[in-house]
Amino acid sequence: MNIIEIRDLHFHYVEQEQVLEDINLTIEKGEWVSVLGHNGSGKSTLSQLIIGLLKADQGEIIVDGLTLNEDTVYDIRKKIGIVFQNPDNQFVGVTVEDDIAFGMENLCFPREEIIRRIDEYSKRVRMNEYLKKEPHNLSGGQKQRVAIAGILAMNTDIIIFDEATSMLDPKGRDEILDYIKEINAQGVTVITITHDMKEAIHSDKIVILKEGKILKVGTPKEVLNDKATLNASNLELLLPLKLMYQLEESKIDNPDLKDYLWQLSLNR
Amino acid sequence: MNNIIIGQYVPGDSFLYKMDPRSKIVALILLMVSTFILQNVFHILVMLSLVLILLWAGGIPIGRIIRGLRPIMILLTFTFTFQILFVETGSLLYTLPLTISVYNLLIAIALVVLYVLTRKRVRFRLFYFLAYVAGILALFNLFAPGDVLTSPVINVYSDGVRGAFYIMIRLVIIVTLSTILTLTTKPTDLTLGLEQLLKPLSLIKISAEEIALIISIALRYIPTLLDEANKIMLAQASRGVDFTEGKLKDKIMQIISLLVPMFIISFKRSDELANAMEARNFVPGQYRTRLHVLSWQWIDTVVVITSTLFIAGSIVVVILT
Amino acid sequence: MAIKFEQVSYDYVGVDQTRYRAISNITLDIAETGEFITLIGETGSGKSTLVQHMNALMRPTEGEVTVYGVKIYKDVKKKNKNVKLNPLRQKVGLVFQFPEYQLFEETVERDIMFGPKNFGVSDADAKVRARQALQAVGLDASYLERSPFNLSGGEKKRVSIAGILAMEPDILVLDEPTSGLDPKGREALLKLFTEIHRNLNKTVIIITHDMNTVYEYASRVLVMNKSELVFDGTPDELFLTGDFGSWNLETPDMIDLTRKLETKLGVTFHRLPKTVEDLHAMVLEVLS
Repeated sequence: MNIIEIRDLHFHYVEQEQVLEDINLTIEKGEWVSVLGHNGSGKSTLSQLIIGLLKADQGEIIVDGLTLNEDTVYDIRKKIGIVFQNPDNQFVGVTVEDDIAFGMENLCFPREEIIRRIDEYSKRVRMNEYLKKEPHNLSGGQKQRVAIAGILAMNTDIIIFDEATSMLDPKGRDEILDYIKEINAQGVTVITITHDMKEAIHSDKIVILKEGKILKVGTPKEVLNDKATLNASNLELLLPLKLMYQLEESKIDNPDLKDYLWQLSLNR
Repeated sequence: MNNIIIGQYVPGDSFLYKMDPRSKIVALILLMVSTFILQNVFHILVMLSLVLILLWAGGIPIGRIIRGLRPIMILLTFTFTFQILFVETGSLLYTLPLTISVYNLLIAIALVVLYVLTRKRVRFRLFYFLAYVAGILALFNLFAPGDVLTSPVINVYSDGVRGAFYIMIRLVIIVTLSTILTLTTKPTDLTLGLEQLLKPLSLIKISAEEIALIISIALRYIPTLLDEANKIMLAQASRGVDFTEGKLKDKIMQIISLLVPMFIISFKRSDELANAMEARNFVPGQYRTRLHVLSWQWIDTVVVITSTLFIAGSIVVVILT
Repeated sequence: MAIKFEQVSYDYVGVDQTRYRAISNITLDIAETGEFITLIGETGSGKSTLVQHMNALMRPTEGEVTVYGVKIYKDVKKKNKNVKLNPLRQKVGLVFQFPEYQLFEETVERDIMFGPKNFGVSDADAKVRARQALQAVGLDASYLERSPFNLSGGEKKRVSIAGILAMEPDILVLDEPTSGLDPKGREALLKLFTEIHRNLNKTVIIITHDMNTVYEYASRVLVMNKSELVFDGTPDELFLTGDFGSWNLETPDMIDLTRKLETKLGVTFHRLPKTVEDLHAMVLEVLS
């Protein structure tokens, strides 16, 4: 079943050139889709369109059967949570528990339920000992974990990670990536927006964006097989894949080695 | 920059901490008004001792209060001097004739210079200051060799002393009361209390909830902004911005070089924060449940009743006397 | 030596007088030319505090930093009235992580001119320097009249670097210059730093979390761990013999792949490759 359908989507900012052009995309329930593109490819604009923070020039977005428009936007937002890039600019609460509660307060959850869920989800992201802490005493990775707890607590069907790891150090990045895997394994539809091939390779489906257009949609395997598209995409190739391409060019016929490099590229 | 304390809240567990912020705010306002209603020296002293008892009962260290008074010390000294020197009603209490001559003026100037040079090395600066003032007055009064330049007279009147005394005690009471409130109430609770008390404003289409949200977001971002301001200063210092030297024109440019990045970053921040809030289903003006609720206990009722009685008593006392 | 640290420590003091030692007992020498240094370590290990001592933004709590002959220590301003710290910031150019911290002028040109003019360069000269600096960071002259706020993240970063380069510092220090950039943008910037290092013969110091950068570009690595300088040497020494696992550093992709291939092919390579071409050649050698 398709949980998100995007049809013929066009968007541009006032007095600027086209940011997104002719986007067609379907995302199935429970799937993990990564939208992969360089800076300025329009990938973050896409996430803001999906939850109605921006209004498309043309085209349709259907989330869980609801077509996005002024009447449905609040219902659609209840189905989608977003973890944004900058840890500091999405921390609304004065303390950790206030921030986790913020979304639930807006959704008018009963107070007892809010308290129960703060406990449950702060434990899930191992922030339960920091509930009374203020954000300036937390690291970037910890703030992102709080954001994740706040969104998990709202129990949305879909979670978008909009470059949620790009301002973190390697340790913070790996932690968040582990949570993404875990969340997806529990049946939540996940969309990660990233410029990091290493991150995208873990997902079920990769969408490559370049200058506002979809260049390719496919499984990681299909994407890595499409050498022409990868070269055109301006993305950084993974090292094993680079080596494999070079070996191919030198006409080395070693299927075993090739297969090994292939598996390494897919991070298996 | 990890140690910025939001507000002045200091954790503790006396009854003041267990009270509802609403009752604390209401009591604060009632007691402040009483302070201004009372006109008799004796009554104001009673009020002051009550405040001191409150401090003692609430287990609040007096040092904290003195620290809270420090910023208004200059104001206090000025109003005190002003009242003493320029109020000329009531009965004449004391006359201090001064004789200013060339020699004692020179000595006085030397003393002032000595004071300016040494004041930073002294622990009790206020006493040090007062000692110098007294010293100079004594000098003019007692020791005047040489040609006399002028001989002014300082007349102290009873109304001046009373006025100075009133203003001082009132200010001390008010600052102490509000320090008690901010010391024992978390900023979040304070905001929540304020929100509840401002609810009636919805009658004139002002949303107390939105005001409270604005305050709490401001509180949350103060440390972040301070940290950022510091970093911007360091970044511009790396480009040669140096406030200790340079012409006025350069200095204006240097201040602009700090302000513009602050504004631009803050605008971007508020834009992103607004998006993040909307994405988490925030709709301005719509009802929200709240994690923090206030609980009104018997002690709150007692405190509010007591302070109401107090203000009523003050009014009665003033009318009767 | 251009910069010399002698047993330098720095304590942050909170409002409640609690102390936090950000860097502890650092001894270090940095030459004026010829070095490409990467400074690595976990978040909060003291990297930024360390580099802010290099241009006298911070003064040590203990110990002494000597920058171009000027000794900097605690209360140096009080004890030595003649000391001028501001000129050191022209000698050691420090670029902060976020270009938003420094960009403020109406045009790119005027923003780049701001630094040189603060150090007494005339308007005309500053203009010339702005053009040169912009070219050095790989942006053409059409950017001069643009507003620095309407640029992409990568372009802003370049303009902020040009703003420091135009001061003509002898040493260039960059705090996480590639964070938040996509791989292409990162690579382009690193190429730029290599060029500045080679062509202008300046020592370049980069704070980074990316071990691939360290391995591929650095001539020297400094590792900070829990406020202490725990390693000072070449990248090869670090990744071959250093205790980098216990400092929570990742293995560079190149070394990781080389090791895996050694196991897979059952061979031992006698050296470590720096580029994929290198590795390719080594594999070809083994296979044939």
